[in-house]
Amino acid sequence: MKDSPTAAGRIVIGMAAVGAVGVASSFVAQPERFWANWLLWFVFVLTIGLGSLFIVALGHLVGARWSVPIRRVPERLAGLVVFAAPMALVALSSLPVLYPWARPEAALHPAIAGKAPWLNVPFFAGRALACFALWILAYRILTGGSVRQDQTKDPAFSVSAKRFAPVFMVIFALSITLVAFDWISSLEPEWYSDIFGVYIFAGTFLAGLAASSLALLYLMDRGRLPGVRADHLYNLGGFMFAFTVFWSYIGFAQYMLMWYADMPEEIFWYKQRIEGPWLNVILLVAVVHFLVPFFALVARDRKGDPRRLRWVAMLVLAAHFLDLYWLILPVVGTSPPLSWPEVSFALCFIGLVLLWVRRSMTIGADMPIGDPLLNEGLEFRL
Amino acid sequence: MSEPAFAVIGLFDSASALLEAIPRLRARTSGRVEAYTPYPVHGIEAALGLRRSPLAGMVMVAGILGAVTALSFQWWMSAVDYPIIVGGKALFSWQAFVPIMFEVTVLFATFTAGLGMLFLLNRLPFFGHPLLSSKAIAAVTRDKFGLAVEADDGLLDVEGAEAALRAAGAALLEVVPVPVYDPRHALKIFPRAALGIAVSCLLAGFVMYWAVKLFPVLPPMVHMENQPKLNPQKASTLFKDGHGMQLPVAGTVARDHMPYLIATQEEAARLVNPLPRTPAVLQMGRKVWNEHCTVCHGPLGTGVPTLTSAYGAKPANLQAQTFREYPDGKIYHVIMVGKNAMPSYAADLTANERWAVVHYVRVLQRAQNARDEDFK
Repeated sequence: MKDSPTAAGRIVIGMAAVGAVGVASSFVAQPERFWANWLLWFVFVLTIGLGSLFIVALGHLVGARWSVPIRRVPERLAGLVVFAAPMALVALSSLPVLYPWARPEAALHPAIAGKAPWLNVPFFAGRALACFALWILAYRILTGGSVRQDQTKDPAFSVSAKRFAPVFMVIFALSITLVAFDWISSLEPEWYSDIFGVYIFAGTFLAGLAASSLALLYLMDRGRLPGVRADHLYNLGGFMFAFTVFWSYIGFAQYMLMWYADMPEEIFWYKQRIEGPWLNVILLVAVVHFLVPFFALVARDRKGDPRRLRWVAMLVLAAHFLDLYWLILPVVGTSPPLSWPEVSFALCFIGLVLLWVRRSMTIGADMPIGDPLLNEGLEFRL
Repeated sequence: MSEPAFAVIGLFDSASALLEAIPRLRARTSGRVEAYTPYPVHGIEAALGLRRSPLAGMVMVAGILGAVTALSFQWWMSAVDYPIIVGGKALFSWQAFVPIMFEVTVLFATFTAGLGMLFLLNRLPFFGHPLLSSKAIAAVTRDKFGLAVEADDGLLDVEGAEAALRAAGAALLEVVPVPVYDPRHALKIFPRAALGIAVSCLLAGFVMYWAVKLFPVLPPMVHMENQPKLNPQKASTLFKDGHGMQLPVAGTVARDHMPYLIATQEEAARLVNPLPRTPAVLQMGRKVWNEHCTVCHGPLGTGVPTLTSAYGAKPANLQAQTFREYPDGKIYHVIMVGKNAMPSYAADLTANERWAVVHYVRVLQRAQNARDEDFK
């Protein structure tokens, strides 16, 4: 990234192109694996976008001052929800490959057949599309309104955003639960966990925080965010610290209850994921999703340290991906698949997302210059 | 030199004036510089050159200590000292330990944070800071910002401090004298407090003792006893005939029930002990002996009861010649149907346990009447 933009851009385009070839070949060679990887990357990109949208709405909701100068970064990243929409449409076209309840033989399985009123293709697709409609609407209201405010300097948007934020929170709480239950949990429709939605929410918020921190540091390095200081970074680091702990708390609570009860209809899900080679994956997730970020960010000064924040944010983003990998990929293999299809997917989607994000970094001004609270936000001190 | 001073304090009109003055003052005096402000001022720690509080490190150490303590306690109790398998889980089940580890970590960390801040770092109890009796502090609690040069030992260079403060831009200088009292004088309250706590504990103990003595009818927690259940000798509405105890269903035999048709001890003499004399069998016999027989026959079978001699009956001395010459079957028969004051143990012991204890009686007898070859 230190190279000239055009060279870096060319490398990224090359990455995406090479990856796309691999992705296409994996679709021909191993369709099931292709769809599992597709779902993984779709959920990963979606959660980054949704997490960013949540950060924006959270700032409006609580009337935070500190987040105003950095708000444009998550506002731009929230556009990844739009990026994820066509991925969802593609995924919807082949539900039976991954989802047992979408196959005809599901009717023979009493536990799955009993869930047919909820888990059927039209209703599932309807829910997914409705969620995307609401998210994109919220993105247009929050980001679009904020960008227009750059020109108009009209404080009316700040008021209406504050009014819209609680509405969005209700929509978000329900829709993020649907993401968890529909797209991930229903891969094994016999399994259920009430707290799973909260677990995915924790990962989503972290993904948004990590991606926003990285994009923020990228812009700061280029001097595009004058006035943003360690005091602002501290809050991002603090949130990241808090929510890695929250994620661990929820994840462990879910595991401990199922481990204790040891009911066959619950524990099989964990047995698939903690026996054999998959155990190494979740142990690695525990280290990079909790242990390392916890000790890396626990000290006060480290939370606002840009160098520390950069690598911790990268680690947390990777950990979130690995977490989703551990949740989704066991349905296609008893050992963690890692070969050319996975590498191709990574190259392709990292490339595409980077290109998308780079383009989105030109949306509006780098700071919400029309927001009446901007100066107060810039003066924020710990 | 006038009387010894604790501090010289000067006042400033604004926080920014104070922040600008601090480095100028610190450059001009070797005394301890302390700031007094009506609200927390950003950047004042850096200006005063305060070191980062060691509290964070203390809390971290205490937290880790808490986690390790909780883990080792639970490991020791669950896996070493009193191993009980719960729910088919392993004795060392870290999953079950994590909530306790979490709680103890938080407990240790918060106590260290709170108590460490108050007593170690803020050096409480410390009643009456000398500056509290100055006029300047009254202004500081309203709208002024105070800056003081302090010394604990009364050796403050008052003129030098005044000059330095004036050069730093302070107005309204005030010299605060060394207090005539010792701020830690009030520590004497602690022995009294300890005495008070001890007396309260004693009183509470006596009250509790008499409460238990005077109200013995108050039941402790009896929730389990108060549940609906069948009692063998009580009436019950569960069965039609109103009895809690029922006869076996006609034509059925209890599982593992073996009919015992031998009527007399002589007839039983022909029975052969079916169990081999293995260590496992003898251990089972010893367990049965210790649990059922020792109370009357004594640990060695000599008929000296361990429980009480007030019982009246005279338990048999199994070391006597008669019983040493008894065939196994006759002993078995007595356990089965009882003899004199001894009741039947048919309902308490299984057939194997009865035969095992017969073996053990033989062991006891042999131990007291060893043969020559036993000593080789």
